[in-house]
Amino acid sequence: MKRRDFIQRALCATASSALFTGFAGKLALAHAAAGSGRQLLGNSYRALVCVYLYGGNDAFNMLVPRSTAEYNQYAAARGALALPAANLLALNPSVAPIGGASFGLNPAMPLLRDLFNQTQSPLAIAANVGPLLYPITKAEYEAGSVPVPKQLFSHSDQSVTWLQTRADAPDRRGWGGRLADMFHASNANQQLSMNISIDGENVFQAGDAVFPYFVGENGAEGVDAVQPWNADRRAAFLALRDAAHGNALQRQYASVMRRSMNNETMINDALDAETALATQFPDTRLGRQLRMIARLINVRGALQMQRQIFYVGLGGFDTHDNQLGTQAEQLAELDAALAAFHAATIEMSVANAVTTFTASEFGRTTSVNGDGTDHGWGSHHLIMGGAVNGRRIYGIPPNLSVEGPDDAGWGQIIPTTAVDQYAATIARWYGVPPGDMSTVFPNLGRFATPDLGFMASS
Amino acid sequence: MKIRFARVALAATLLVFGSAAWAGDHVFDSSFDDHAEGPWSDADAARFLTQATFGPTLDEIARLRRMGYNAWLADQAAQPASHERSYMEDQAAAGLDVYQNSRQEAWWLHAINGPDQLRQRIAFALSELFVVSDQNGDIEGQPIATAAYYDLLVDNAFGNYRSLLEQVTLSPVMGHYLSMFKNRKPDALENIRPDENYAREIMQLFSIGLLRLNADGTLLMSAGQPVPTYNQDTIRGFAHVFTGWNWANCPRTDGGQWWEWEWCPPGPVDWPDPGWNASWFLPMQAWESYHASAEDKQLLDYPGVSLPSGLLAGGGSAASDLSAALDNIFQHPNVGPFIARHLIKRLVTSNPSPAYIGRVAARFANNGLGVRGDLGATVRAVLMDAEARQLPSLAGNAGKLREPLLRQSHLWRAMHAASNDGRYREWYADYYLGQAALRSPTVFNFFLPDYSPPGELSNLGLSAPEFQITTDTTVASVANALDSKTFWAWRGNPWMDPEDVVIDLDAELAFANDPVRLIDRYDLLFMSRTMSSSMFNILVSHVQGMDNADTDDRRQRVQDAIWLIQTSPEYAIER
Repeated sequence: MKRRDFIQRALCATASSALFTGFAGKLALAHAAAGSGRQLLGNSYRALVCVYLYGGNDAFNMLVPRSTAEYNQYAAARGALALPAANLLALNPSVAPIGGASFGLNPAMPLLRDLFNQTQSPLAIAANVGPLLYPITKAEYEAGSVPVPKQLFSHSDQSVTWLQTRADAPDRRGWGGRLADMFHASNANQQLSMNISIDGENVFQAGDAVFPYFVGENGAEGVDAVQPWNADRRAAFLALRDAAHGNALQRQYASVMRRSMNNETMINDALDAETALATQFPDTRLGRQLRMIARLINVRGALQMQRQIFYVGLGGFDTHDNQLGTQAEQLAELDAALAAFHAATIEMSVANAVTTFTASEFGRTTSVNGDGTDHGWGSHHLIMGGAVNGRRIYGIPPNLSVEGPDDAGWGQIIPTTAVDQYAATIARWYGVPPGDMSTVFPNLGRFATPDLGFMASS
Repeated sequence: MKIRFARVALAATLLVFGSAAWAGDHVFDSSFDDHAEGPWSDADAARFLTQATFGPTLDEIARLRRMGYNAWLADQAAQPASHERSYMEDQAAAGLDVYQNSRQEAWWLHAINGPDQLRQRIAFALSELFVVSDQNGDIEGQPIATAAYYDLLVDNAFGNYRSLLEQVTLSPVMGHYLSMFKNRKPDALENIRPDENYAREIMQLFSIGLLRLNADGTLLMSAGQPVPTYNQDTIRGFAHVFTGWNWANCPRTDGGQWWEWEWCPPGPVDWPDPGWNASWFLPMQAWESYHASAEDKQLLDYPGVSLPSGLLAGGGSAASDLSAALDNIFQHPNVGPFIARHLIKRLVTSNPSPAYIGRVAARFANNGLGVRGDLGATVRAVLMDAEARQLPSLAGNAGKLREPLLRQSHLWRAMHAASNDGRYREWYADYYLGQAALRSPTVFNFFLPDYSPPGELSNLGLSAPEFQITTDTTVASVANALDSKTFWAWRGNPWMDPEDVVIDLDAELAFANDPVRLIDRYDLLFMSRTMSSSMFNILVSHVQGMDNADTDDRRQRVQDAIWLIQTSPEYAIER
């Protein structure tokens, strides 16, 4: 084990044991961490926000070709689900995408259209990203001559593949967790996890040394019955909680309870002292989640956080039926919530320090099952933030024609960009040094373009 | 030490008295297993009832000891099923507005008071396998049909898996949830092909899983690699099978016209006349004109498969294809270990030994009379196995995290919770427990069977599914829910309304004077006497330190004891 790793693990082990809860403890840890070296990157704050679209967003109806030849291929594949060309919200990229087609957004996304089209645009699109083990052509896929991730097209498995990017190696960590293992020593506060989820348990944020911390849309919840006014009950509760438990499941339960209680006080004290944001968020599931993230970023100073990774989620994208109506509502919610979040980062003067991106287990079939679509493979994704080289579509937009060169069968589109490339582009901006990139993304070297270019230099 | 001694002496006394009401006379069949002659102690009885019901009560512990396991199981099998649909229809007939709220009421009523406890507990376990959810808009709008779906699980809890699988498949509730409803044959011109949703999930989640299993549930390996159970061709084969199903009793002219398929109503009369949604309660019916009959269909291929290479030849009807496909799934060697694992994890322990899974799977494969898929026999094998009946050692890390719903039902059953009018208006348990019946966020249930939280458990290779919904937020919100249901919602509290569900602490107050007896009582009722002596001592000395001058003081002693137990790690992990 490298010395740096050892220190990081030792820090986390002690930090979670409630020994280091006071400020002196944090300071001691910060000093210890400083000795561990190069991951402390000056004073600049940096945060990632993963917006997970559960169920597999049909990005082929989110970003739609407008130029005639490509639109006709799309319309032929999509039949009754094809969006009328006239309704698409035209995108005006600063550089034509590969292939030269023009594109529009789903009519439910006017705010993101505006963000994309503005000068100094904070919004970019990565085309046809998906889990891959190696670059692969249709012929190779059909011949089975190039390995592909296991259990393609299954929700649970492809979600894990997406968020771990390591389908061919036993690694239970997500890439957000691997980044956190690398960077969490940067935070003076070693009690609060660098990875915070507003949407509960997820694969993305699980690391070796760093485990995600979960808060609700309205902040952290405390245990009411053991507040200081009842010192005796509190003492008994803590004695039961912190006893030397003989069973590993008991220890796990105790440790979740301990972490929850220790962090609740810290977070809610910080949020109570917050200068409220003027930015209004939509009162939707995603709007409320992103509002909580904005508030946590707003109190990053009080929480002594330098590096953070957040996770939010929105369900309902598994549009096997009623797709047109359902997806329009989902995308409208996404549109409004992302736009508000970006406005809040501007208000807090951290737009350049916060990068938000979408993830989703797969795109959907270009073929139709009547009024919906099924599980596909590659999909388009959004990257938003002041450090994003926006107003561009990166990667290779796929050919959507039925049984075309990118169609693995039945309209399951073969990705032309691996999740590894997408993730590595973000990770490089986040501060992963070139020499460490292959540690975080071991398969990255298999792909010709390790950096897709949608992030500013770090 | 002194406290501990007092407790042991008390336990010994109870044991002597208890043995007078020994159960052995009632045992009529112990040929299956060695443990069926018990329970030998109140603790054994409490532990069994924790696994087989929504929580032990003192009365039920005594009853089980009088009857013995076999008679108790036979009695449970004979209990008439409690149904949610009739409860809701009664409410509707009484003029109440009926929403999903009302279904949750029925669920709690049966969990707390249903005489058919085992049946209800198995139905709940099945509802976490054959998942539908009222989080889906179509389902949300049909609360009574959702209840009828749950009743289907209740009715088949001891039935045959093959029959249950067919009823689930043809339920319009499932049809809407996983979009087999109105799934249609391919149309090359329109680039339309069958919906793959149900095809995928029936295999991945309801029956066999993604990877081939040995008979004991371990992964079957080939050249060092696990073996997938199916591929995309299989998905497409099943997707074709599951085409051509629409509402029951659609009007059909000359066998059915396209507009009749498209606009068939869910009932013979218009909303809101009674019967407008009658077909929500009937199995879906086949339309041959929308069924993909012509194509050959690749189904599951496995050793011993009866279709040649798993290929179903074209030309079948919607019903014959469906029947062949469900048989093809049912006979797959994975089904036994897959179902065994699910039931063991829901009822007994998160990390059963392969041998335990193997024994239960064997009973699924053959109930002793040559019948495959007998769920009653399978449930019995789960509960009466040596690994279920023997208290495991602490160090072996056996046990499971109690599901939040079961923690609340445990409290409410143990303390006889009720409202004045008998209704359980527990409408939004998911808000604070993270869980409510048929309300999971996706078809993947509230948690995955193999989930393992990062840290010690995953390092040890242990799964702990319920930890997936045990976040920093819910661990506190569950404690707070139990707080309000213990410290506030008790019978006699003048701040409560008549319709609130309240626990009854009156019988408990007599024990408040004697902390050792009080904690011993709860050790049995809540923890099947698995409480460590250090936990016992902490609780006794805490209660001893509390005032004891009047009824309010004594009630608070009881409440502190209950809540501290219910939020402790030792209680949270059921062994």
